[in-house]
Amino acid sequence: MSRINSKMIMVFSLVLFLLISFSYSGEMSKAENFTLKDYNGKSHSLTDYKDSKVIVVMFIATQCPVSNDYNGRMAALYKDYIGKGVTFLAINSNKQESVEEITQHSQKNGFQFPVLKDPENVIADKFNAQVTPEIFVLNPNYEILYHGRIDDSQRESDLKSRDLRNALDEILAGKPVSKQETKAFGCSIKRVQK
Amino acid sequence: MISTLKYFSIFLFLLLVNCTSRPDQASEVALPKTDSSQDLSLNLMDEKMLQEFISSRNGKYLFLNVWATWCIPCREEFPDLIKLAELYKTKGVEFAGLSVDYPDEIESKILPFLEKNPVNFPIYVQNFEDKENAINLLNEKWSGAIPATFIYGADGSQLHFLLGQHSFEEFQQVLQSLIK
Repeated sequence: MSRINSKMIMVFSLVLFLLISFSYSGEMSKAENFTLKDYNGKSHSLTDYKDSKVIVVMFIATQCPVSNDYNGRMAALYKDYIGKGVTFLAINSNKQESVEEITQHSQKNGFQFPVLKDPENVIADKFNAQVTPEIFVLNPNYEILYHGRIDDSQRESDLKSRDLRNALDEILAGKPVSKQETKAFGCSIKRVQK
Repeated sequence: MISTLKYFSIFLFLLLVNCTSRPDQASEVALPKTDSSQDLSLNLMDEKMLQEFISSRNGKYLFLNVWATWCIPCREEFPDLIKLAELYKTKGVEFAGLSVDYPDEIESKILPFLEKNPVNFPIYVQNFEDKENAINLLNEKWSGAIPATFIYGADGSQLHFLLGQHSFEEFQQVLQSLIK
């Protein structure tokens, strides 16, 4: 009897252990609604885009060389997916990059998507965004379907894996995203001291 | 009953390992006793070489700073790393820098920066096949943001992961806690 009990406890323990292990990685996180102003002073909230099929939140910078190497790719993504029900919202959370600088940078690079200023990096903190560029792809319920890099190479000529495009294509095709998390690489978001 | 307790102990052990194991809390190692002079070098480093470099400790701690010439906080931090390397060169701490600039930027960007910041420890330049693998190899919890500093024990285990720019005093405090 004691032997059976021992085995049962062992099996129960292992099952519990495995359940706890998987619970750390399995849950889908959700973004909170936010409201930020673009460089024209217009307010944008996630709720404004509830009819979009997908919302792409992109943390970007004006001075970061890595983020700047993606300017053309971000503009191309907008052009390629805006007609497919995808909304793009760029957020600048860097403390040293002013609204004037963001305006000039956006115009110079032909960004047609809104670039929102995140004063005191409140939204970067909520998303736990660390670098620029860093991407969060949300469904209309604000569940995060993809988080990470745009692709695997700062240099467009060297890239092998178009992770953001792959995720968007899968979502639009009604498929689960096969690679939901990649490592975003780039410049640290310059935060205010709190 | 003894058997039951044994299984339960195994479970508790597994649970504790699962919930608490973090690279910055790895066990400390004995103070290394030997040191040798550092050679200034500028070599490419792929994932395999990085793994081998980390594990080949020769009884020393490793202070590995990941940086780039385009990264302002990295550049600001650099002079303090040189001072720290000088201070700890006889204390069993090997310093190394891993630049994530591109290999073809050695002449145009890395060397001009190092001319202004005469470095007293080896500098390697990333030549990674897959950046994500390299990031995970250094620390799975690392986002890839730089500067980032990784301190390894003499057994190659990661003792500390310091994200972002740190001061001379902050680094010194960490190193002092190791070599006491």
